[in-house]
Amino acid sequence: MLAQERRNRLREAMAQTGIEALIVYGNSWQSDYLRYVADFSSLEGHGLAIITPDGSIELFLDSAAEAERAEIETTDIKVKLAPEIARAVSSRLDRIANHRIAAAPLGFMPKFLADATRGYKLEDGTSFVDRFLMVKMPEEIDAIRQAAKWADEGYEVFKKAAVPGRMQFELIADIEGFFRSRGCPDNFMIMGSGGKDVFAMAPPSERRLVAGDMVTTELTPNCRGYFAQICRTMVLGKASDLQKKAHAVYREAMEAGIATIRPGVTAGQVAKAENDIFRKYGLGEYATSKYTRVRGHGLGLFVDTKPHILEDVDTVLEAGMTMIIHPNTYHPDTGYMVLGDTVVVTETGAEVLCGTPRELFEV
Amino acid sequence: MRRGLIAWSKAEIPESVFDARLARLRAAMAAEKLDALVVYTNNTRTAGVSWLTAFVPYWAEGLLVVPLSGDPLLTMAFSNRIVGWGKDVSHVARFEGGARPGIAAGKYLADCGAKHVGVVEFDSLRAAVVEDMAGNAGGAVLADATALFENIRTKPDSAEIALITKAGIIGQRALSLATGTETMIGEALAAVDHESRLLGAEEVYMAAAPDLDRDPRFRRMEGTVETGRSFALRATLAYKGHWVRVTRTYFRDKADEALADRAAARFAAAVAGLPSADGFKDFRSWNVEACRVTQPLDPMMGSQIDEPRALAPGSIANAQALITIDGRTIALAAPILVGREAFPSGFLVAPVFGRR
Repeated sequence: MLAQERRNRLREAMAQTGIEALIVYGNSWQSDYLRYVADFSSLEGHGLAIITPDGSIELFLDSAAEAERAEIETTDIKVKLAPEIARAVSSRLDRIANHRIAAAPLGFMPKFLADATRGYKLEDGTSFVDRFLMVKMPEEIDAIRQAAKWADEGYEVFKKAAVPGRMQFELIADIEGFFRSRGCPDNFMIMGSGGKDVFAMAPPSERRLVAGDMVTTELTPNCRGYFAQICRTMVLGKASDLQKKAHAVYREAMEAGIATIRPGVTAGQVAKAENDIFRKYGLGEYATSKYTRVRGHGLGLFVDTKPHILEDVDTVLEAGMTMIIHPNTYHPDTGYMVLGDTVVVTETGAEVLCGTPRELFEV
Repeated sequence: MRRGLIAWSKAEIPESVFDARLARLRAAMAAEKLDALVVYTNNTRTAGVSWLTAFVPYWAEGLLVVPLSGDPLLTMAFSNRIVGWGKDVSHVARFEGGARPGIAAGKYLADCGAKHVGVVEFDSLRAAVVEDMAGNAGGAVLADATALFENIRTKPDSAEIALITKAGIIGQRALSLATGTETMIGEALAAVDHESRLLGAEEVYMAAAPDLDRDPRFRRMEGTVETGRSFALRATLAYKGHWVRVTRTYFRDKADEALADRAAARFAAAVAGLPSADGFKDFRSWNVEACRVTQPLDPMMGSQIDEPRALAPGSIANAQALITIDGRTIALAAPILVGREAFPSGFLVAPVFGRR
């Protein structure tokens, strides 16, 4: 069972490093540390879990609905409803104050819990857990593979939903209905529609699609807690020559990034490979933070996890890491354009998990 | 995750509503001799900042700084490319993006010359944000101001009551899309999720008890699961920053729906007795949640809760219960208005049963 395998990995590492208790935090946006330890993804309120080297786990939740859900969704875990969660967890840590306690992510701990005047000391355990979050076991990759399949299917639904006259949020309704019907519990998505006036994707609005719009989206469905992502761009109608020419740059950049991936290279080298394509076409400015955030990012129990694919990130890639490569940015001739595939790093390179053609779709 | 419509409807919440809330807040700040108040927001703790500005985070965290006089500042941890969107969906004098809202908030407090600063839910704020803010606030003294904010936040105005009611109606309409005849729970969940979002929900968290006879507890469904002869769906749904939890029980055999009518009557009687919990005592389980500060549905009282919190007269809450009748379990949940003076507590949107 995947949850047990994750727990075993942690226990072994805790024993090797001398960590006697690990406390992790999660909320509805970022639940990866919590899910890894307690096999529970938070939807409401705060969640904090403590694992000790014997494998026992206590999960504290400050939402009554979440505590009830955790009782049924988790196994071999003590679930505690704690409306005053920071104080409840602090009281628990007081009982092991003489232990070596690590917290991940340390910066996410509530102030009350992290207060230096407490009787216990929290050390930063973020990088300790990050390694497990980044390098996946085969069963974790299987879940991402399934999520990527849903992403492909979801994009087909999105293409059909994108009809002139419909509002952006109505497309999201179609996508979410489709994912729920497939047993997919969660998804993250943002989108854009319009032309050169669109500088980024954003949360769905009431803007109505119009013929000729360029429509961008990233879909990020979840399978057993693991996210995969796809980014694609379509035109409502016939794409112009400028749009086709621009899209070819993104495709070349994404494929250059993917071709660079193999164990031993850094995230920065992948980003550089993508950005060099933009620079080759005189578009280097559009590969900077003024127009874009990252050139890809890790995927796993969180939609935007490490490593971030940026030229100054020196994280060395290893087999078993999963990520999306997406040179998404603004193009001065067409507006914001996106293209991205989820990949897994293999012993020899990268395996692409998305199967949707890398086209500028015309619908 | 969040993936629904984020929009500020001036028709539903005019600027004057936010201005009046801000004025009430500032009056309370003045009484407490506070130079500024800080409210945190993220995906989970939306209900303070959204109440003051309409802004609902889609993914990022942020801080709202309200000086006693001068412009409020909302600083969010996202790129300046997204700030235009943030301004479109909020009502706040200053809106900024940046990597570390704690630093921006601290600097703004220093710029405002604030010496005594109240911080809502200070102890539960994440430590790194507090460190950033305190380190840049020019020596201002930061202290908890949760009680001050709660005292104002739990007195709803007509706009808040109307939007909670609308969220409840969206939830009930969406729940009516399932019929009880679905053999796989995913069919029912898909119909409700889809309809909720089409009706403008900014979020809906679906949970189900796919076979009430076997286990009436709600869980988020994954994969394919068959339904029993009765099942329940729960939609935890937000509309324009206003959250409700609505639940409906479905029966494969229409004759069983009479059970639900009996349960609904008992539920209504228990709700009418709030803030006294006496009417809930015979239920299999129950709880009442409410927005006190920034968490939309905070546990207040219930069968799982050791230390109940008092419900403020006239406040908005959400009640849910599992009721057993003739050996069958029925799940119900709906938003309520807590009674005040001569008016008893009652549903803002009553739970309904029966097939479409």
